[in-house]
Amino acid sequence: MISKIRAYITRAFADVPKTKKSIELQEELISNLIEKFNDQLKIGKTEEEAYTSVIAGIGDLSELVEGVRERQTLMSQSPEDRKKNALVIAIAVVLYILSPMVLILFAELLSMEIFGLLMMFVLIAIATGMLVYNAASKPKYLREEETLVEEFKEWKAGKDKNQASYAAFKSAFWLIVVAIYLFISFQYGGWAYTWIIFIVASAVQEVVRAIIELRRNHE
Amino acid sequence: MAIASDIIRGHTETIILRQLMDKDSYGYEINKSIQEKTQNQYELKEATLYSAFRRLEQAGLIVSYWGDEQTGARRRYYSITGEGRSYYKQTKLDWELAKQLIDQLI
Repeated sequence: MISKIRAYITRAFADVPKTKKSIELQEELISNLIEKFNDQLKIGKTEEEAYTSVIAGIGDLSELVEGVRERQTLMSQSPEDRKKNALVIAIAVVLYILSPMVLILFAELLSMEIFGLLMMFVLIAIATGMLVYNAASKPKYLREEETLVEEFKEWKAGKDKNQASYAAFKSAFWLIVVAIYLFISFQYGGWAYTWIIFIVASAVQEVVRAIIELRRNHE
Repeated sequence: MAIASDIIRGHTETIILRQLMDKDSYGYEINKSIQEKTQNQYELKEATLYSAFRRLEQAGLIVSYWGDEQTGARRRYYSITGEGRSYYKQTKLDWELAKQLIDQLI
């Protein structure tokens, strides 16, 4: 009889996605109904009578069933958002490409090497800022269903976003490092020592990675 | 009895909150105590009871947690929140007023 009660509830929820919410509600209903069933036996009803009265007492489950049925809405980007994203990325890339030209222009034509270098860094900084902003402002994956799959998707979305920011940082960082290396070496001729900058830069990159990792774990 | 049920139905949430004012409880226990208090004259349908739990929980008036029964099936317990307590008190006042008015009118 107990398995018949279980089957009755399971059937009522048959066409609802097996989310955590729906499974927990079924478990709750079944355990309470079984307790009621056992109490009915204790007051002297036969199994058949007890089953009938338990089922009759349930009533119309449709509101409950509808309550756990959830629309699966994935947070997808609207076309406008996608266009905006593409534009931001394109401008950032243009800035990256133009940045050495600024240095060459100022250095060769106006012999203002320092100013040219500064301008180059400013351009790189703006471009990097745009990429980081773009990655960070992408919509978070909102979890609609409490299933493992959804949790995984959310986790992955979060991970991808972090990785996109980090990749943007990394590309800008190494460009800047190479620029500094070339500039110092040409300017002061210290070719014998300046390669150290790459080791230092590598260390700095690892430190940044560690900080990002720590912050993610902290969240 | 059918007519009385219609009148009572609008107060399902308040009735449940009243049961939770004394102690945390679970579905069947709440329904049993409603039955006892009314000398078996009134009992909630499971569908009504658990729909009301969902609504109350969504409104933040109650919270639920799973009990740690050693034997048998797990039970989901409900506990009234501070917000739920003040909501109960307000609804009770509203009811007293309505009762008084209806007594004067019919």
